[in-house]
Amino acid sequence: MQLLWDELRDAVPLIVHGNPYLLSVVWFTIQVAVIATVLAAAIGVPIALVIGLGRFPGRRMLQVFANASLALPPVVVGFFLFLLFVPQGPLGALHLTVTRKAVFIAQTVLALPYIVALTAAAIQGLPPGLLAQARLLGAGRRQLCTLALREARIGVLAAVIAALGTTLSEVGAIVLVGDNVYGYDQTLASATLYEANAAHYADAVAIAIVLIGLILVLMGGVSLLQQQDGGIRLRFRSAT
Amino acid sequence: MTEAAPANQVLLRCQNVSVRRGEREVVRDVSLALRTGELVGLLGPNGAGKSTLLDALGGAVVPAQGRIERDGRVAIALQSPDLARRTVLANVTLALAWWGVPRPQRADRALQALATMGAEHLAPRAARTLSGGERRRVHIARALAVRPDILLLDEPFAGLDAETRATLLQDAASALRSRARATLVVVHDRAEAWALADRLLILIAGELVAEGPPRELLEHPPSQLVARFLGFDGMLTDAGETLLTRPPHVILDPAGPLRARVTRAVALEDGARLELELEHGRLYTVAPLPAPRPGDTVRVRVQGGVRFPLAAPESVLASI
Repeated sequence: MQLLWDELRDAVPLIVHGNPYLLSVVWFTIQVAVIATVLAAAIGVPIALVIGLGRFPGRRMLQVFANASLALPPVVVGFFLFLLFVPQGPLGALHLTVTRKAVFIAQTVLALPYIVALTAAAIQGLPPGLLAQARLLGAGRRQLCTLALREARIGVLAAVIAALGTTLSEVGAIVLVGDNVYGYDQTLASATLYEANAAHYADAVAIAIVLIGLILVLMGGVSLLQQQDGGIRLRFRSAT
Repeated sequence: MTEAAPANQVLLRCQNVSVRRGEREVVRDVSLALRTGELVGLLGPNGAGKSTLLDALGGAVVPAQGRIERDGRVAIALQSPDLARRTVLANVTLALAWWGVPRPQRADRALQALATMGAEHLAPRAARTLSGGERRRVHIARALAVRPDILLLDEPFAGLDAETRATLLQDAASALRSRARATLVVVHDRAEAWALADRLLILIAGELVAEGPPRELLEHPPSQLVARFLGFDGMLTDAGETLLTRPPHVILDPAGPLRARVTRAVALEDGARLELELEHGRLYTVAPLPAPRPGDTVRVRVQGGVRFPLAAPESVLASI
């Protein structure tokens, strides 16, 4: 207990005095979390709409696949990405190993299943008559998608929260593809691991405290939007 | 079709249509026509294929066989009145957007349709705060707002309490009538059919078994099957004939020619519904209070009812 107290006491000045290394890691973490979540949403929401609204054979299999991918261990994902990115791998020509790009890609891949599975489930949970009625009154594909996302907005935001959570806290995959290079491609989570491995416990505690604070701020913000009047008022224009 | 069609013009015609749901043929060889200005009721027991036929007429389901011709745009209002999590007005204008109505016209048309259904005051309310009856009103108003040439409604009064249903039925009876449109309403309850429809189609086990004005069908049902479905629950067989009766046809009369024993009495608000056992069959009637009790012997006379030759197979009657 004394050790924890001592490390906490030593960590406070590091946070309060705005250590440049710590600030750069915070900034990179925010960039990774936001960009990876946005990319995952941009790729995942259309896939979720296909699963949620589509009427084609194999739709259920896709949903099962999306749900199963939620349980993929990040280390396994990171290892496969590493194999893709190494110079001898299929994407070796892109020179992605030990780069920031690799970290963005890994976090996007990890966030994608949350967006796809949870958004598709939220759309499938809508009252079936709502979408069927829209189809019968002439709603086109774009109008149906807009209606589905707007009506399922609480579930969609839950998917975003889950995706954001994983991009903030995941370590295994990014360490494998980015090698956790000090001050270069470290996120707060991987930097905590780095400092702990180096027995710099005060630094590790400081970084962990900042990470928890960042998680509370970002997740809290999105959660507040989600809860506002039963869901954020997403501004979709009615397609004419 | 863009302008109002002339009166009595056929807007929808289906010929020998059969519809399958998986391996099962749910609708069999149905032919019918809907004309401008008509309000037609489609009546049938549960599982008769009414909703499936409606889907096929509206183009939501492709028939396995037969032909459907439509002259104009069709709107279907589904049984379930699911509304978007917006205001009532936004829900109706959204439907108008789906239908392709230009933006400047939407709000006025939406308010007009809501007013037709007595729901104008609900316009600013959030849809999620509506009661069951209010949701139904908005649901119907949404279908009316798009001003289709052919309007198909699937059980628009389902799941409402008796009082709400009666009020809604009263308003819908005039709102659904339009000289410019053909309207088909699927109804489950006979009372709804009498209150609404100019013409009734009766669908039993996927087959269209009768068609005509409600009063005419009630007075002259074309078959025992239809008669039993229309509430002819009493039956006497004698001299090569079957007499089917409804409770108003059976009158308790001390001077009546028939002797009957009361086998069951179900209390009603102002009397009792009696089951009467006679030598040649069983009749039902409603008696005022004080009503006879089970085991009592009473005299009755039958005034009205419909007669059929005795050949009707019981198995068919039992199926309704």
